[in-house]
Amino acid sequence: MRAKRALPETTSRRGLLIGLALGLPIIGYGLRGAIVDAADTHPSELARWVIGTALAHDLVLVPVAAAIALLVHRFTPGPAWPPVRTGLAATGVLALVGWPFVRGYGDDPTNPSVLPRNYGAGLAAAVGVVWLAVAAWVTWRCIRARTTAGSLAPDE
Amino acid sequence: MHWRRGIPRHRSELHEVRSAAWLGLGLGVTFGTCFLTGVWSHLAQDPPAWFTYPARPAGLYRITQGLHVASGMAAIPLLLAKLWVVHPRFVEWPPARSVLHAVERLALVPLVGGGLFQLLSGTLNVARWYPWSFFFPRAHFWVAWITIGALVVHVGAKAAAAQDAVRRQPRAAGVARAATDDRRAFLGGIAATSVGLVVATTGGTAAALSPVSVLAQRRPGVGPQGFPVNKSAAAARVTELARDPTYRLVVEGAVDRRLELSLDDLRALPLREARLPIACVEGWSASARWRGVAVRELLAHAGAATDAEATVESLQPGGRYRTAYLNAGQASDRDTLLAVELDGEPLHIDHGFPVRLIGPNRPGVLQTKWVSKLVVH
Repeated sequence: MRAKRALPETTSRRGLLIGLALGLPIIGYGLRGAIVDAADTHPSELARWVIGTALAHDLVLVPVAAAIALLVHRFTPGPAWPPVRTGLAATGVLALVGWPFVRGYGDDPTNPSVLPRNYGAGLAAAVGVVWLAVAAWVTWRCIRARTTAGSLAPDE
Repeated sequence: MHWRRGIPRHRSELHEVRSAAWLGLGLGVTFGTCFLTGVWSHLAQDPPAWFTYPARPAGLYRITQGLHVASGMAAIPLLLAKLWVVHPRFVEWPPARSVLHAVERLALVPLVGGGLFQLLSGTLNVARWYPWSFFFPRAHFWVAWITIGALVVHVGAKAAAAQDAVRRQPRAAGVARAATDDRRAFLGGIAATSVGLVVATTGGTAAALSPVSVLAQRRPGVGPQGFPVNKSAAAARVTELARDPTYRLVVEGAVDRRLELSLDDLRALPLREARLPIACVEGWSASARWRGVAVRELLAHAGAATDAEATVESLQPGGRYRTAYLNAGQASDRDTLLAVELDGEPLHIDHGFPVRLIGPNRPGVLQTKWVSKLVVH
């Protein structure tokens, strides 16, 4: 029993050991490359970016997403929640990916073929399509809930 | 009912092994694709001594690099959803139950940090925004190895549980129908978001998607001569040099006859036409009809060996991509051209006037513009 408690139930001890044997040399190869290539990789700045991205995710993105989800969930009727949740996730992803395009950070005034679109309008249209799909999905779920009474019962 | 009352985090039925397993499978496929196509791109740009990058098939790099960027985009919703699902495990107490567990968790730092960084830096590269001082391709390449190594550790640890979770029939295992419904809706929504994001970003290479690809960084048909440009002549600070009437193309090095050709001399040589894509590392690509002198004709004219290799130099005063290398296979390919025309018109200066290199199966940054010299080896 002690061996079982030493690792989570979903972790295979043997698999982990094999994974470490195969994976650690690959990690080592990458670390070595990043250090040998220091003139290009700027290892300390790169490390700050890698760790910083993870911290920004855990300490900013997750709490903000959780707070929004919690708030919206409170005002969303049960059957509508899965589509609304998807709508929130898709909107968040589109906003994150779209942000540098909308802001045009990478624009080059000497090169009209770079970032040639109106990204603000495009992003708004994409978010609009997402919420139209959410509305259609909610409608479908409500109709289904009504026609097959009891299908949304908690347990069979 | 639980799924209605429960907050959409720790208690939620989403946080079960089955969701994590399906998302993990998707991430394995997308990150695996990114890694293989990324290593391929690296081999194309910095071939090690033991590797000869092939000149054919002509459109291969366009496909591998298009796949690279598209799978990275597809992975964004998958990774965020996966981290959301397993988040309770990150904050569990005590943080480690044993030394081995501590090692397993430690390996999550390069996995999560590396995975998020790869997707972030890749997206910013697509958007051409570099808010850092390191050289993106190198940093992205080495972090890829670190991330994939950590992924191997993680897959080793979790493969058995994931396989079990994916195969198990949730209903038979006594999982409530509402919970199954909820999980399917969640995973379906994430999958749809992935597909949607790919559609919204790949119009710069898949022309058919361009009308709806609202976040694509390029638009087919937009640019000088209706063709996108990676770097303009002004940005490369080459405008005056390229327009200089005393321009000469020089062929030198391991040749019997050093050549010095004006643009008119070049145009007087037999010209060849080829339809080839420019396939940028940032994921956009477009095809055009190019006309120019085949490099192999020029090399033969100068009396170079039939298996000669060559370095192509640009008029650009500096920059990492001022020169490009042609291995013997590339130099002798009939469609590796020093082009003087694009779609039947003289090259626009932003496309490399007076002469640019264009060859099959090459990353766009190696299709050197404003060519001044061929150094034969």
